Amino acid sequence: MQHVAQLNPAVEAAPAAAVEVRDLGHIYAGRDGPVPALSDISLTVPTGRFVVIVGPSGCGKTSLLMMLAGLRTQTSGTIMIDGRPIATPDPSRVGVVFQEASLFPWLTAVENVEFPLVLKHAPRDERRGRAEAMLNLVGLSGFGGRYPHELSGGMKQRVSIARGLVQDPPVLLMDEPFAALDEQTRMTMGHELLRIWSQTSKTVVFITHSLTEAVYLADEVLVMSARPGRILDRVPIDLPRPRTYKMMATDVFGALRERIWQQIRSTP
Amino acid sequence: MTRPSPRTVRRLIGLMLLVAWEATPRLGLLPELFLPPLSKTLAVLWSDRSLYGAALLVTLYEVAVAMLIACGVGILAGAIVGGVATLRNLLLPVFSSLYAVPIVILYPIFTAWFGIGSESKIAFAGVYGFFPVMLSTAAGIRTIDEQYLLAARSMGATLPQLIARVIIPASIPTVLAGLRLGGALTIIGVVVSEMLTSASGIGYLVTMNRTILDSPRVFAAIIVVLVMSVAFDILVRTIERRTLVWQTAGRRTSSADAAVPARLATA
Repeated sequence: MQHVAQLNPAVEAAPAAAVEVRDLGHIYAGRDGPVPALSDISLTVPTGRFVVIVGPSGCGKTSLLMMLAGLRTQTSGTIMIDGRPIATPDPSRVGVVFQEASLFPWLTAVENVEFPLVLKHAPRDERRGRAEAMLNLVGLSGFGGRYPHELSGGMKQRVSIARGLVQDPPVLLMDEPFAALDEQTRMTMGHELLRIWSQTSKTVVFITHSLTEAVYLADEVLVMSARPGRILDRVPIDLPRPRTYKMMATDVFGALRERIWQQIRSTP
Repeated sequence: MTRPSPRTVRRLIGLMLLVAWEATPRLGLLPELFLPPLSKTLAVLWSDRSLYGAALLVTLYEVAVAMLIACGVGILAGAIVGGVATLRNLLLPVFSSLYAVPIVILYPIFTAWFGIGSESKIAFAGVYGFFPVMLSTAAGIRTIDEQYLLAARSMGATLPQLIARVIIPASIPTVLAGLRLGGALTIIGVVVSEMLTSASGIGYLVTMNRTILDSPRVFAAIIVVLVMSVAFDILVRTIERRTLVWQTAGRRTSSADAAVPARLATA
């Protein structure tokens, strides 16, 4: 076995791009015939980068994320995650955090986090230990025995993040994870996410409607057009890290936000 | 002075009803033929205990088998109809309409097919209890939040895992509600069919004693049915409480909230 590994160094080395999308297009069957949802999407997310996708409602952001997660199959183009195509969901490569209500209410927080490991038939001690460690990472140690209805909205999303990270995937996909939270909690959670991200060095693809959130979190913001969704602009966010709330008041922050806003506003 | 708890009030009302039951005929407000005193009814029940016991056993046996059929077939059919979209569109409206039919009109047919023994009661009560179980199981499966399924699939769940770990636990609350209703209807079905045509069971005792105007024995049988129904309800409630811990955990007391700062401090 060792020989094989040495003979094939490409397997060992992590690919430079965690997410590689080429000429992606998607057409779905609507009531009045085929509807083009996405077209000409190409994007490269280098390992460890935080990319935020913004765009008008119905531009296919969520469709794109579903395809990156292997939950939906594209009509054309290729998607490589961690150097390999993704045809079906693979939680060891991609963790997904959904908007809300995706925690199972009949399981406690720690049981929710270990759910992906249960599906893989991991031994109980191992998965429990791993889940506890993840809850610790997201700042919820001691809350493992709570049921979701006993947790606040922000805490639920922390559990979701822990669940997305439990198999240590290189890529974390987040579909408007903080959209249902109030403004204060949302700010705190954004800050927490950056802390978790810097501790785990994951590659993050994050969808949001909030431009402030986008600029605050991202290394790069991708602006998508209305249907059929295509990438209109790629805005590098070169604000220093770690990001602070104070940066939101700076001219640079405002200019970046304005640039993205103009792009979205100009789409029909 | 503190306001008495609803529980205390409930018990008081129950006690008052029992007292009224005893007092109304004794004071001559109602003839004993219409309402025999509670004490007399209980005395009859005690003196005829072997008769009532035997009848109860027959009824319980019929109820148990009918419930098994209603719940087993109901859950299975509900799962299939609720889970498969084409079947759902085809059959669910039919079953919903059938549910509205007073199925008791079918009972004469059941006696023709199965005789006047336990079989016809089991068949009738089984069909009677089947509908709510089947319909609520179908509804429970149909109304599962898509988000749960999507999340589970994103975590790599296979179809059997999806069924065992998401669909079943997610539909348990609705299914249990259906079982409660279906079980109650099964008891009604058995007792009613015993009253209509039979030679044994509690329902038979009601009819038989009514025809000879023996009111205390009619009421004694009613008490037995009452106790049986209440016992069933308590049983189902207990099962609900045990299986649905996640719905109520932490809500019974406020101590959970008090524990948060302490836990945060130690974290």
